[in-house]
Parts: sequence; structure tokens; C-alpha cells
Amino acid sequence: MIKLFYAAIGVLIGIIIGLILPFTYSVTYSLYISVAILACLDSVFGGIRANLEGNFDLGIFISGFFGNAVLAAFLAYLGDRLGVPLYYAAIFTFGGRLFENFANIRRILIKKSKRNKQ
Amino acid sequence: MKKMTKANFIILVVFVVFGIVLGVQIKQKVPYFTPVTLNSIETTKYEIDNINKEIEELKLMLKDKEEKIQLYENIARDDKNIIDLLDKELKKTKLIAGFVDVKGPGIIVKMEDNNSEDAFGQSYDLDLIHDADVLRIINDLKEAGAEAISINGQRVLSISEIKCGGPIIRINGKSIGTPIYIKAIGDPKLLSAAINAPNTYGYALKNIDQLIIETEIVDEVIIPGYSANFEFKYAKPIKEGD
Repeated sequence: MIKLFYAAIGVLIGIIIGLILPFTYSVTYSLYISVAILACLDSVFGGIRANLEGNFDLGIFISGFFGNAVLAAFLAYLGDRLGVPLYYAAIFTFGGRLFENFANIRRILIKKSKRNKQ
Repeated sequence: MKKMTKANFIILVVFVVFGIVLGVQIKQKVPYFTPVTLNSIETTKYEIDNINKEIEELKLMLKDKEEKIQLYENIARDDKNIIDLLDKELKKTKLIAGFVDVKGPGIIVKMEDNNSEDAFGQSYDLDLIHDADVLRIINDLKEAGAEAISINGQRVLSISEIKCGGPIIRINGKSIGTPIYIKAIGDPKLLSAAINAPNTYGYALKNIDQLIIETEIVDEVIIPGYSANFEFKYAKPIKEGD
């Protein structure tokens, strides 16, 4: 659970830094970054789930976190070049998995709370 | 608080990075993206091409006008040329308007009703040359680059009507009957092809409807100018600056 605490703190610090930093990029790249963020979110939920299940592995988490983000952004870019909206693939895959992971997290938490009551 | 482990520190760093990306993205005012289809890209390209062409034409026109200004300035310095220039311009305008007799290479198309006994189809209507047939032929000729066209001595202008009048056809208010001779000045090969090439309207008239369509390439076609009086009653020119 201590990991989640660090994660939350990290995100908060990051967002504040991001908002304060006078750094922007071309709007053209926004789509790629958005898809990459979706992939990251998927990894985060996957990580939380793994953490709750007790088989969290830092290497897997970090490689998934960056790997998925880069792959998703690259897919979106490639799709733009080819004229096919390939980023849909990323959106559907990661979006679907995100909800799946969330469902699992929910189940685990509810089971835990029930066990605690008994 | 416990001492931070290495794993936790890495997680913290990763999430800080994630947060920065999130924050920057939130800060960015992202416009709504709609997927662009190949079709719309194609259409836009086509539009751009068209606009570029228009720009080219406008540039040419600008050059033309600049030359004209130069000319007028030259005239302003010594005013002998002005009558010559206006005369030249009047002649040119008349030529463009079609009020002058013109000659040049071209073709003569003869169109005649089908007079044979075994007429095509059951209705005699199909064996006649109609106003619509003449119109289509003339349009084909124009498309092939005809510079001047006349029908039985009547110059075809933008204001010329070609109208059915029973067994005859009316053009420029005059009645004409078959055979109809259409004269056109232009590239003789192109004009001839516009009538005779397979899948043209003239070809269909000749080979399907069995009408008599004959073309003759002539080195010098003489086409008379528009002879009737014409005045604008309703259309008024817009003055520059209005």
C-alpha cells in the first residue's frame, strides 16, 4: 500500500510541475501524447491490480509503462502517416483493459472488506 | 516514516514524470480532432489545386493589366497613338464578341434527316434532326475548341437561341431547315474527332439513329459575323469601384 501512496504523491507533484512549467509542444502532437497517456493509465491500473494481488514486479511495471506509451504514440503516428486511424487500436485495447483492470481491483477490494468484517 | 526503498523511489520518479506529461497535456488547449478521411484529403487537395490555378490566372491578368498601364502611360506622354489604340481595341472586342466575319481552318458538318424508306424505329420522330441534336453537336464542337460557329450562315453567340420550330429550327430569330450546315473554326482534327469519334453524340446520331451526318475538313471556313441588332435591356455593366 505504501507504493500507492508514493504513486499518488508522485502524480500530484508531477501535475503541479507540469502546470507550472512554461513548456508546451505543437498541438499536432497532442493526439500522440493523449494516446500515450491512455497507455500509461492502463499500466497504472494494471500495476495497482498486481499490487493488490501481491505479484507486483517493478521491472514489468516500468517496462509496460514506458513501452506501452511509446508503442501507442508510435501507432498513432504511423496511422497518421498511412491515413488509417491506427490510434483506435490503442484506444480500444488500452481502454478495454483499463476497465477490466478496474473491475478486478473492485472485486479484490470488496472481497477484502467482506473478509475483514467477518 | 519508514526509509524509502529503491523500488518506491523509482515509482515516485516514474509517477512524477507521468504527472508532468499529464499536467502539460491538461494545460494544452487541445482542439477537437475529427478523423480525416482520405476522401476529404483528396477533395481538399483538389480545392487547393484549383485555387492555385486561379492564382496563376490572376497573376497573368495582373501582368496584362500592368502592361496596359505602361501603354497608357506611354500614350499620355504623346497622344498620337490613342486613336490607333482604341481602334485596335474596338476591332479586338468586336472579334471576341462575334460581330466580325472570320475565316480560318475548320470543318463543315452537314446534318440531314433520314430520308430512306426503311426508317429507323417506329416513330418518324426519330428520323429527324432536332434542336437538341444541333445543340449537343455545337456543345461538342465548343468543347473541342471551336472558336467560331455558325449554323446555315447564322453566327452562334452566347445569346443565340436554338429552338425547335416544328419542321424547322430557329436560331437568332431566323428559321432554318435541313440540311443544316454547321461551320466551325478551330483545330480541324479535334473538331472532326468531336463529331466522328466513337461514343460521341455525332457518332451515335449517325450510326444508331441513321441520320445523315457528314463532316468535311476545310482549309478556309468563312463564318459571318452576328448580323442582327442586339442591345442589353436588363443587364447593366457594374462600374469598377461600385
